[in-house]
Amino acid sequence: MNLKFKIKLSRSQTLLIITLVIAMYYLVCGIYLNSLGYFNQETLFYIEKVRIIFEGLGYKLKVIGLTAPALPFFATFAFTTINSLLAPVIASALGTAALFYLMASTLVKKTDDDFYLLLLIILFLFHPGILYTACSGKSMYMALIFFYLFFLNIFKFYTSNTTFHISIASICLVLLLFCDYKFIWLTLFFIPLIFSIALQSLNLAEKESIFRMTLSFNSPSLRRKLINKTFALYVILFILPITSIMLYKMLNLTNANDADYFLNSPYATWTVLAERFSYERVALNPDFKNPEISLLISARMIMFCPLILFAIALFRRNPYQILTLLTPFAFVEFLHIKYDQVFLLHQYYLIFLILAILCLIIKAQPVKRVILFKSVLGVIILVQLYTGYYFLSNSLIDDEKNFITILKNREVDEQQDENRDMANYINGLPNGSKILIDDAVAYPIVAFTNNIADLTLPYQENFLSAIESPRQYDGYILIANTKNLLAGYTILNSRYGPVMYQTGNNYSTLQKIYETDHWVLYKLF
Amino acid sequence: MSIPELLIQDGFITQADQEKIDDFSRRSGLSYIKILLNFGYLSRKNYERSLNNAGYVFKQIREEDYDLDVLAKTELKFADAHLALPLRVENNKIVTLMANPDDELFIDYIKFTYDMEPEIILASDLDITWLSHVLLGQKYVKSAVFELLNRDPDSSALTTFTTPQLIFTFGLFAAVVIGMMLSFVNTSIIINVVLSSFFLVSIIFKLFLALVGSRFELHQAVTREEVRQVDDDELPIYTIHLPVYKEDKLIKKLIWNLQSLDYPREKLDIKLLIEEDDDKTLNAVRNLDFPAVFEVIVVPFHMPKTKPKACNYGLHFSRGTFLTIYDAEDVPDTDQLKKVVTLFNKLPVNYVCIQCALNYFNRGENFLTRMFTLEYSYWFDYMLPGLDTFDIPIPLGGTSNHFKFEFLIELGGWDPFNVTEDADLGVRAYAKGYKVAIINSTTYEEANNEMFNWVRQRSRWIKGYMQTHLVHMRNPVKLWKKVGWKGFLGFNFFIGATPVTFLVYPLLLAIFICYLMFDLTSIRSFFPDWVLFMSIINLMVGNILMIYINMMAVFKRRYYELILFAIANPVYWLLHSWAAYKGLYQLIVKPFYWEKTTHGLSKVNNQAVPE
Repeated sequence: MNLKFKIKLSRSQTLLIITLVIAMYYLVCGIYLNSLGYFNQETLFYIEKVRIIFEGLGYKLKVIGLTAPALPFFATFAFTTINSLLAPVIASALGTAALFYLMASTLVKKTDDDFYLLLLIILFLFHPGILYTACSGKSMYMALIFFYLFFLNIFKFYTSNTTFHISIASICLVLLLFCDYKFIWLTLFFIPLIFSIALQSLNLAEKESIFRMTLSFNSPSLRRKLINKTFALYVILFILPITSIMLYKMLNLTNANDADYFLNSPYATWTVLAERFSYERVALNPDFKNPEISLLISARMIMFCPLILFAIALFRRNPYQILTLLTPFAFVEFLHIKYDQVFLLHQYYLIFLILAILCLIIKAQPVKRVILFKSVLGVIILVQLYTGYYFLSNSLIDDEKNFITILKNREVDEQQDENRDMANYINGLPNGSKILIDDAVAYPIVAFTNNIADLTLPYQENFLSAIESPRQYDGYILIANTKNLLAGYTILNSRYGPVMYQTGNNYSTLQKIYETDHWVLYKLF
Repeated sequence: MSIPELLIQDGFITQADQEKIDDFSRRSGLSYIKILLNFGYLSRKNYERSLNNAGYVFKQIREEDYDLDVLAKTELKFADAHLALPLRVENNKIVTLMANPDDELFIDYIKFTYDMEPEIILASDLDITWLSHVLLGQKYVKSAVFELLNRDPDSSALTTFTTPQLIFTFGLFAAVVIGMMLSFVNTSIIINVVLSSFFLVSIIFKLFLALVGSRFELHQAVTREEVRQVDDDELPIYTIHLPVYKEDKLIKKLIWNLQSLDYPREKLDIKLLIEEDDDKTLNAVRNLDFPAVFEVIVVPFHMPKTKPKACNYGLHFSRGTFLTIYDAEDVPDTDQLKKVVTLFNKLPVNYVCIQCALNYFNRGENFLTRMFTLEYSYWFDYMLPGLDTFDIPIPLGGTSNHFKFEFLIELGGWDPFNVTEDADLGVRAYAKGYKVAIINSTTYEEANNEMFNWVRQRSRWIKGYMQTHLVHMRNPVKLWKKVGWKGFLGFNFFIGATPVTFLVYPLLLAIFICYLMFDLTSIRSFFPDWVLFMSIINLMVGNILMIYINMMAVFKRRYYELILFAIANPVYWLLHSWAAYKGLYQLIVKPFYWEKTTHGLSKVNNQAVPE
């Protein structure tokens, strides 16, 4: 019996209730994992930056305007008032629920068959990758939302041919770039696609693409038309993202004297050190064999998301759509070449899942052999759940692997204990004690401290002066010791002047008052 | 031999034509000569040629003496309908000017009214029209000027600034000056933040509207199939006003454009509205050597000499159920009138106006025409449909707005003191609870291709927006109650904000350029970093979005070759700013002055209508 008729709810109201339930489920999972001590680098980075904005003293404009990725960072603002440590998790839980709502609402408009909705609910409830998106506090949820909207509008453009859809796609791409800059490279792989669209749109009797192209190139007027249209399409789709990035770079240049500050500075983005650290830790192992090899990346994506093959099969008679589906493959292959010193984050796997579901939504119309179709689909979705688990548990990235381990074992995570210990010690210092910290590497500790206002951090104008003559500004210095793999990325390490001086001459201007495996807190005299 | 027989004998018209004219005359009550010369049967030259050959003599009549007592007994509309005018008593006869000396009805009228025989002077219909309107048209021209003022003085732009508005303006100015004296930096910061935020919000709102408008770009208010199903016999009379002033070069083009309209000729009521002192255009009409499908109305001299006054005057002589206005160089889609009638029949009764899209046939002529095309494409294809969707008052375009005649009369016609009378009328209609719809039909105009001419035209538009804003904001609360919050905000954003944006733009741009080029430390001391950060974002994002909106519009129109020109918009806006400052100056010193736009400068053939 159909539940929605018994309680007399419209389809959209039912959907809303399901979304709320899913949001609650994500929140419970996320908060539970948080209580077990799960944090990741990205979340801690956001927590620290948001706390600087709300609690810090000094020149915060750069932190507000140039912290990247900007949109997920801003999204955590709203939830900081509830709990600053939980804010990213709340944002990701609600954001992933919103993604579900967006996909489900498109689905219910396309088909009345609740089977597909059920499959979608199963995926959103149990797919490890989506759970990771929702409960980790990472910004993936937002990238996936805009990725979904971008492709949804591209697909709509193929059928409607309206400027509206292509403009919305363009705006979604802008928003996507402000969630993850690397998606800018997607624009490269749309060139052949756009050319193909322009070619098809020419008013020619010839149907075969190759002959259409020959005809167009041999006639000056058609050639001009083709070039104009290709160029116009490319401009209308990509000028907004490209100029937005240029503008953002200009803001970086005027405010930080470096156009790529948001990409390269550890003060602006968590990825610079976290990704490199994660890669180096694994890749420097002599026994390490990188499973992410060019061309095999695509194979990995298909293994992770066999549903994409199903989606390609659904669109086998639509050349645009097939080309569109192939674009992300080229994109991830390119990412692997371009960023060869980092592992592909899980979100680049998940985009294939989102794309495959989108294709299913678009093509979820009655087909012949419905039972066979649904059975195959059901089996693929179940396989998909397993591959999701497999890829996450075998991930080369600590944060990802750690998440699935804690989710599976539900044991307390001790990874951040050291940072918490140091933060707790700092919290226990007398009121008004000033501590000099470089949050390029020490942001996890800052995130856990109680009083940001007592810290001297790089965003403050007196930070450099404090580095020069710490005693005039601070009572304590937090130093990354030699065991700390990130020590090379901060000035406050064991080679920092006052520390060296202290060690070399046995002259007691510093006193080590607390030490963990990777950090030392000195008191200044 | 009667004149019709004479014309048939000379081969200028056929017997079939003659029967058609008689039939039409019986049905419409129009005189024979009126139909003959104004419904495309015979050119004036051939008419004169035929009569001259038969021994008739056409006289020059402008200097003829007249007797006001004689004139007073004749109604202008009657004289105009018969193209005849009694002037004076001479030798116990009424000296009567007639374009058709065979018009028995008018001859009988003279005999009965004056109890005397007429002394007929044969004259050109155009001269008779000119003289009759000049001598008898005062009543109508006064009505054209003062009707709205008498009926609804609050809606008339005769008073530019009301006392409360002056107090507010000077009060605000004083507050800024005092603020600057007390704290120069803080006041500058407040002004900067307010202006740049306003700039950005206004542009984001425009983007939003453009997106909404673009969503419905495939929507066809009236389909081709619906147009095909229109029954010509059921079509109403359609009045077309063609207000012209010294457009002698365009008259021939005008005839061709009107003849291509797909609408029964007999149901067209086309009025060419010529100013009393505009002999150039009158002579151009006189010299046409092919039949015309319009009727000339001469607007007697009265200040202000504006297009709305001419149109108001034309209303008195119009017969249509619907009415539209075209400029002399306009090339409307051929099925536009039928589409409009179909849409009016589909829409609820409170829709009193339908606005067509405007675009340009000479878009590729030079930089200015390209930019103009970008602008119009965005305005008419996206903005107006966006406003329409959100039920926000639509600032009507200068031409191709189609009205229900009776509602136009009810609204009091156009405001002759307002130089953007169309935008004003749109707001007035909205305030009375009427609606304006947008239709999928385009009129192609001539884009201004000369910079000073462009600035003149634009300064009038911007001045008109200022006038309209001042008129309707005399009592903001009343306006709010009439048009609701959406209408109020929409009105302020599109009518009020447009001139402000253009006035402010060069100032913000200058600050930005100075900041970039000279890295002025003094600017940094005025504006803290957060203000500069915000202002740069506002300015850049605002510019990029506006450029993008323009790109969207030409993309929709498939003018792909223009897409990159959208990048030149910041330069184009500087021209707007120039025009805005000129408009502001004129608003203060000569608010009703009509900056005449010269048409016919384009070397592009307007028949080459795109796609």
